[in-house]
Amino acid sequence: MSKSIFFQGGTLVLRDVGDEEHPPEPFKLIKERWRCEGYHYGTLQPTLREQAIRDTVPRWRTLDLTWQETREPHDYQVEALLAWELAKRRGSIVLPTGAGKTFVALQTIYRMKCSTVVIAPTIDLLHQWYARLVNAFSLEIGVYYSGEKKVQPLTVTTYHSAGDLMAEYGNTFKLIIFDEVHHLPAPSWGETALMAPAPLRLGLTATYPEAHEQTNGRWDLSDLIGPIVYTKRIEELIGVQLAQYRTERLRVDLTPDERARYDADHAIYMGYVRAQDLPRRFGASWLMELMRLSVSNVQARRAFLARQRILRLLSSCEGKFNALEGLLHEYAHEQVLVFAEQNAVVYDIAKRYLVPAITHETSAAERKHILDSFQAGRYRVIVTSRVLNEGVDVPEAKIAIVLGGTAGAREYIQRLGRILRKVENREAVLFEIIVRKTLDEGKAQRRQPRKTDPC
Amino acid sequence: MLTADLVKPRLRLRGPELFIELVSTYDAHWQQTANDLITLFQQHLGHTHAEWHKALETYEGERLDYIVIRGLAKVLSDAATFSPLTTSLSPLQLREQAFAYGPAFATPHPSRSNTRDEVIQRIAQELDTLPEYIESALFADRPATYLLTDLGAEWTPEGLLARYNLELTRGVLYWASQVNIEVHDNTQDQGKSHTQDGPIHDDSTIEPISPYKDLWRYIKLFKLMFWAQPLPEGGYSIELDGPISPFVHATTRYGRQFAAFLPALLLCEQWRMVATVHAPQLQTSQYKLDHTLPLVSHFKRSGLFDSRLEADFASEFEQKMGGKRGHWRLVRESEVLLLKDTVMIPDFTLIDVQDDSRKILIELVGFWHPDYLRRKIAKVREANCAHLLLLVYQGLKVTEDAFQDVASEVIFFRQKPVLKEVMETVEVMAERIYGVRGKGGGKGKKQEMD
Repeated sequence: MSKSIFFQGGTLVLRDVGDEEHPPEPFKLIKERWRCEGYHYGTLQPTLREQAIRDTVPRWRTLDLTWQETREPHDYQVEALLAWELAKRRGSIVLPTGAGKTFVALQTIYRMKCSTVVIAPTIDLLHQWYARLVNAFSLEIGVYYSGEKKVQPLTVTTYHSAGDLMAEYGNTFKLIIFDEVHHLPAPSWGETALMAPAPLRLGLTATYPEAHEQTNGRWDLSDLIGPIVYTKRIEELIGVQLAQYRTERLRVDLTPDERARYDADHAIYMGYVRAQDLPRRFGASWLMELMRLSVSNVQARRAFLARQRILRLLSSCEGKFNALEGLLHEYAHEQVLVFAEQNAVVYDIAKRYLVPAITHETSAAERKHILDSFQAGRYRVIVTSRVLNEGVDVPEAKIAIVLGGTAGAREYIQRLGRILRKVENREAVLFEIIVRKTLDEGKAQRRQPRKTDPC
Repeated sequence: MLTADLVKPRLRLRGPELFIELVSTYDAHWQQTANDLITLFQQHLGHTHAEWHKALETYEGERLDYIVIRGLAKVLSDAATFSPLTTSLSPLQLREQAFAYGPAFATPHPSRSNTRDEVIQRIAQELDTLPEYIESALFADRPATYLLTDLGAEWTPEGLLARYNLELTRGVLYWASQVNIEVHDNTQDQGKSHTQDGPIHDDSTIEPISPYKDLWRYIKLFKLMFWAQPLPEGGYSIELDGPISPFVHATTRYGRQFAAFLPALLLCEQWRMVATVHAPQLQTSQYKLDHTLPLVSHFKRSGLFDSRLEADFASEFEQKMGGKRGHWRLVRESEVLLLKDTVMIPDFTLIDVQDDSRKILIELVGFWHPDYLRRKIAKVREANCAHLLLLVYQGLKVTEDAFQDVASEVIFFRQKPVLKEVMETVEVMAERIYGVRGKGGGKGKKQEMD
């Protein structure tokens, strides 16, 4: 019998190679067969040829692609792609938000002309990739996620669904592109890169994870994808591609009635938290502890419910709506993006001011319609929850208004990136509306970017 | 499916062992709670998802057992159907019309010509309807505004509590990296006594199929890898994981499949399971369960033939060779041939009525897709099984070469297998493998699992 190698659920398995034989290094004898992870495929190829092992792994194809994009690449985009090709077509490109990472990826696909899978962090980004791929190549593009599973030579998936896609179709893609590759070290998401046999690998991000963020001892990006092959910092691009911006913080007050409710709930909430000394006893995870206690302790349960009422009040208090309304009046002739944390608030605003909303519930078609109309100036305002957090294109917006929001410096930078596309050198403004003397102020403090971040 | 926040608080860790705090289906407090929720849910027929949620929140109040309440409610709403309000003009089109005027404000403003209410009124006029209708239809396609239209199941408090327990258990298996099970099959004995009672309907004229069949079928269906070994006392010890498991320490990638598989295991009579679980923020633990737990499967036992060809063969056999007319019993899909990393479950087993160690397996290879056939041939090759008889449809592009290095006998047929020819071959095979009938052919036992 002739020796061969096949792909099985993210692994490579040797057929008709005996227990006593010694196949190359990564293979291990498991359950009567020699097996190894899919990602070794690229380095195994020469050995397979040497040892005359018939290779039945690749199911990928050469594609006949035509380039439909009209945009010209920036110099740094050409440089980035070149650097990646020189690095044996493996590795990550680090570009600031708004610098056109998607465009680099499209060019890569065009130059490689082979079956490719793109992995995006969210369904929203998946939709956006889908649109960009359709526009760039005028081809039928596959999508694979909870809502729809259709595989094509060019397919987009999410990190969440990529593992299943790789288990079943891993060997149909020669090039794998990891969008926002800093997500990959997450425990189950890294498995995707491990399972894929694709020899060509490209990672894209604005915030390459630090070594300590890649731990678990498991997912090392340079091992899974390759090294960083190109970096451009935001300072080097301002004025070239990105507009400058400023941040303004608006402080509003609660109404007397709201203040009374706030203070009452705050007393219940903080009263318990302080009495139990939770932050000191449990450190950063004290809120988790409060949740844990609330299934067995009446006081804890009351404190937690009070906290929920406070958050609801803060997200929809009159002052915030008044300030928002004021800004919408003030910038009546600008394109404005409004962010609110909770979906319910987003839809409140949409109904109250008759402006389109984009949330995770919004269908791909409607999203496209809304963004196109916004671009064309037919819609002037879009209100959205957290879905526009990462790299979703809204190039025309010059004003962003943040109502509420969550902590985390990375998120803050990437939100800013949203309105920072350069249009005629005009300055962008980000307004943050927070409620004076409430939990909001603490949250906004935490949201201040770290000193080293390029703001 | 229960979400992690509804499962985790029900877990208890004692040493390395994990326990789930299931609810007692007899407990008066839980029965009352389940009953309240079923009633509340029924009252929300025709109401929106958002209203149901609000009612649930009110019902919870400051109760500490809100995790169970929410879990029970999740089971209810997972089984039910919520559907959008049907509107004459789609909400999408309505929004396009309305948002073209936005942003609109409550009070007049120099930059905007219309107040919000004026915009709504104008659209209502254009569409010849009332402003209130526009208000309610504007976002009628949001899941939160969907109406509860079908409860999906006739719930009893006990039924709801039992299903909740099953979902909790499945929830834990979501975090499992590996599962070991032992199954013992007792149902075949019951099958025999059933046959003695006389046939009830068509299917019962031959013995019920082995519950293992469902087990293997589901293992394959959920794309799990397994490693099975027959136990000396009967039954199997089975190790379940997935292809990538040996390479990724404690991957929970296959947890969803384990969870999906559990109801199939519950179909077995006697079983034990040990799962290695990595619940978030908890140390790695062992979760053990067995058939004594009050878990109820909602899966159906299979009872249907895979193809007409099989059904016809079985009924012709019963007609001509069944009962006292011959010395063979025909059993459907009872034997499992364990191959390296897959199974083969031949369609039928013929068992000698006087010596059940004399067995001939029959596999029908009918009208199938070439891919299926390719896999089948590979399997038969790998089985290398002397007491397997293949009946192959000749219309298929299978030459006899394809089966050349197969240990089994092969009979080709055009329309349907000729029973007489099949039985003649069976007799010859049995004699060759087990010796002449009635002369102590005791070596059969050893060979049957080869």
